[in-house]
Amino acid sequence: MTIRISHAGAMVALALGCGFAMPGAALAEWQPDRPVELVVSAGPGGGSDIFTRVVQAAITKNNLVKVPLLVVNKPGGSGSEAFAYAKDNPDSAYKVYFGTQDAYVLPLTTKVNYAYSDLKPLAAMVSDVFILWSNPKASGINTAKEFVDKAKAAPGKIRAAGAKAKDADETVVTLIERATGTDIAYIPYKSGSEAAIQVAGGHIEANTNNPSESLEQWKAGNQKPLCVFTSERLADKTVVADGMSWADIPTCVEAGIDVKNFLQPRTVWMGKDAPAEAAAYYTDLMKKVMDTPEFKEYAARNVQIVDFQTGDKYKAFLDQQIANYNEIYKANGWLLPSQ
Amino acid sequence: MGNFGQLMDGFAIALTTHHVMIMVLGVLLGLVVGVLPGLGAPNGVSLLLPLTFTMDPISAIILLTSMYWGALFGGSTTSILFNIPGEPSSVATTFDGHPMAKQGEAVRALTLAFTSAGIGALVGVLVITLLSSWVANFALRFGSPEYFAVYFMAFASFIGMAGGSPFKTLVSIMLGFAVATVGMDTISGEGRLTFGLRELSNGISFLVVVIGLFGIGELLLTIDEGYKFEGVKAKLKLSTIFRTVAEMPRYWVTIVRSALIGCWMGITPGGPTAASFMSYALGRRFSRRGKYFGKGEPEGIVAPETADHSAGSCALLPMLALGVPGSATAAVMMGGLMIWGLNPGPMLFSTRPDFVWGLIASMYMGNLIAVVLVLATVPLFAFILRAPFTVVGPLIAIICVIGAYTVANHMFDIWLALAFGIVGYAFKKLDYPLAPFVLAVVLGDKAEDAFRQSMLSSGGSLSVFFETPLVATMMAIGILLLLLPFISRFAGAVLGKGNAAEAGDGRHA
Amino acid sequence: MNISRNAMEVATALVTALAGAAVCYGAMENGIGWTESGPKPGYFPFAIGCLILIGSTATLGQVAWKSLAAGPAGESGHADSFINGPGLRTLAAFFLPIVAMTAISAWLGLYIGMALYIFYAMYFAAGFRLYSSLLTTVIVVAANFIVFEKLFMVPLLKGPILEYFGIY
Repeated sequence: MTIRISHAGAMVALALGCGFAMPGAALAEWQPDRPVELVVSAGPGGGSDIFTRVVQAAITKNNLVKVPLLVVNKPGGSGSEAFAYAKDNPDSAYKVYFGTQDAYVLPLTTKVNYAYSDLKPLAAMVSDVFILWSNPKASGINTAKEFVDKAKAAPGKIRAAGAKAKDADETVVTLIERATGTDIAYIPYKSGSEAAIQVAGGHIEANTNNPSESLEQWKAGNQKPLCVFTSERLADKTVVADGMSWADIPTCVEAGIDVKNFLQPRTVWMGKDAPAEAAAYYTDLMKKVMDTPEFKEYAARNVQIVDFQTGDKYKAFLDQQIANYNEIYKANGWLLPSQ
Repeated sequence: MGNFGQLMDGFAIALTTHHVMIMVLGVLLGLVVGVLPGLGAPNGVSLLLPLTFTMDPISAIILLTSMYWGALFGGSTTSILFNIPGEPSSVATTFDGHPMAKQGEAVRALTLAFTSAGIGALVGVLVITLLSSWVANFALRFGSPEYFAVYFMAFASFIGMAGGSPFKTLVSIMLGFAVATVGMDTISGEGRLTFGLRELSNGISFLVVVIGLFGIGELLLTIDEGYKFEGVKAKLKLSTIFRTVAEMPRYWVTIVRSALIGCWMGITPGGPTAASFMSYALGRRFSRRGKYFGKGEPEGIVAPETADHSAGSCALLPMLALGVPGSATAAVMMGGLMIWGLNPGPMLFSTRPDFVWGLIASMYMGNLIAVVLVLATVPLFAFILRAPFTVVGPLIAIICVIGAYTVANHMFDIWLALAFGIVGYAFKKLDYPLAPFVLAVVLGDKAEDAFRQSMLSSGGSLSVFFETPLVATMMAIGILLLLLPFISRFAGAVLGKGNAAEAGDGRHA
Repeated sequence: MNISRNAMEVATALVTALAGAAVCYGAMENGIGWTESGPKPGYFPFAIGCLILIGSTATLGQVAWKSLAAGPAGESGHADSFINGPGLRTLAAFFLPIVAMTAISAWLGLYIGMALYIFYAMYFAAGFRLYSSLLTTVIVVAANFIVFEKLFMVPLLKGPILEYFGIY
């Protein structure tokens, strides 16, 4: 029961990045002639918000676009407000939407005001990895095995914190539960950093999180990474804390939790009837953003897996993702009755 | 005193001509966005953010925080002049600020607000300077039960306060909770009280509520009262400003009490909004002039403003040390921090002391500059009030409509604000208290989240609220505050004295 | 038309009671029980709705009791007026144009709604001369346009007419 995301050859793809070709010169001529809205499916400070603002910073600093870019936060209804806005403006060439898997996962579990078919997928730029963290000082949990043992010894008593309900963090926790036959109490907070603080303060035993949200608490000795939900270990070998680097974190499979690959893609969308030339323009723009120093630094700092996906390969990836989520959510009993 | 040495280094960074210029610019911009409710601090900060991408992080954060201070001061201005709070934390300022302005003393009201805000902010920064390492660790001790206890204290201090019919208070506070509930539920991920309406699934924004309840409601009341907008009588004498500043030492008890409440709520997760409400409520209860609160009483302005700004300054520390922003504006700034390549967290203090202490030093400077600049604008703002209501009224109406729209770019929010305007008008005329309503809207969902998170982590046991000394103490204080009106009534009945004497010296205190 | 304070008290209490009932009804959808791991999502909203109902009913009772105590003649202060005819007309003359502005704005955009409203308020309500009313309108709309669209880049709703003229 895993979500498989192929990122084999990601580095090769990056090296060949320039090989991405525009279909036809006339299409490449299209340029926005008025301010462009970058619509975020999250509030200020959230992961998607920072992602979008880094894209904005990279474009602005490198003068990639001549018109002003406005970041518009639409966090309402767990972010569905942003995509409902895409439904209301299906043909706008001046609105680009930034999100995660939420764009295609939200309609599965929640009554939202848009359908996946209201969106035109442009690209996935990077993927965030997930790490299982503990507070070794307060809980005495130092390894993933100790975590599983404790959870087995006290069903329903060991707690894991995460951002929001029925979203990525809770999904990971249910995957752990199923892989290890445990019962973990999941406690949702408004954001990943709030959840991290609860663990750092010793109020909760563990949390699942993107690396950057718990990085500083790891350096301070309040949190420790137990395992990472990827198929291979992370690449970054610079020592972070306690003589450990990101590459020293075992994968969860190695550590005895059979959850192979769970990633959070950072995705870019438009309204379903957006002009093809505009979609091509923004896709190309995002490709250029990938090569800016600002964006590279962002990806490195957040220990993300860099894999720019677009076109048919990306559509196939999305279909695969939706099918996987459908399966997991069905098992969790989270699907809307109509599905 | 290691902190003191570091602060001096910070001043060396913050006091360059370049940075002082940035502070002046930031404060001025902040004043503009703060005064226009359609813009507001979060908008202003997110507009400036792209400009900071090419600046060094210290200059960038100084620009953004200065703008934030400016916006906070600007928000108090509209609260006092038009009864439209620009930020949640300046709602309590309307309770006495606007009545005083209506009585023709706008200059005095504005000066009182700005001066006490400045004092509050300075106390807050002082606390940060002295206790920085302690505060960060202390904030980590707050789990969900502690969060709930803090909110409980804020509610408890307010409940007994409202005069009039207890049933109307009940209806008012519960309607506030209901408004806060609408939208997506954090704990279950389900939509609540949306009645299948798509507009409601995004939740009801606090700003829309106050723009309607206070802004539009007040317009309707003014017309009802026959245009008695007495700003015309206001004399624009510069000397009023100085006389009011000289008046400040008289309120030292209120200032000290409010600053303490503010610092406490700023360090704990209560935040500036809870601080200003709580300070107002306790001021009304403990001040000798408490019975004049709500009618344009100076201490009713000093109390919330001091607490608001000391909490706002103190709250910056847990934000930097933990990475959990206390407000929408702070959240945008935090995003900026990460884009500049800085991760907020406990290590920021040791890895980038120049950044942290430069910022803290700039807070001293920025607030001083803000107070001076904002006092200079007082005559200008007071002048606006001299225009006839037939002109000012429609302009305020437009400000309210645009303000409601820009919260989330929804037309529905304007309709909602108009509806809340009628509610505000009817409630005020029928003596339903509005303050508990607003407090419930602001803190209701946070308190509920904290409660349910506590229940989830304790397996449904209520004893979690009395487990550690910290949470038990806070809950006990909360319960005490809740019972205080009954206790004092009982004590008053037993002792049977005091009231007459107090009423006698009230006006001349 | 004269609305007495009592009538308004009763009407308001009925409206809040209705709101309370609606909240209770809405909460039922989320489950109102208390499980082993704490309250269900609808538990608090349901309690809130009930408390609104109780508070509203008690207020109704209070009003009824007071007006009974005051006697049928209503000679004491309880029968005073909430708003009288002319007052209501002034209020409506101020509020309804704002409602109209909102309705027009939803259709033609905020700038046009704003312009029509300001012109109405200056020319018809305040009794300014035609030219000064027009001037005020232009100044207000232009100031808003510059502040929001140009300086602070906060886009307001434009509507079809402005779009047609290429203003976005």
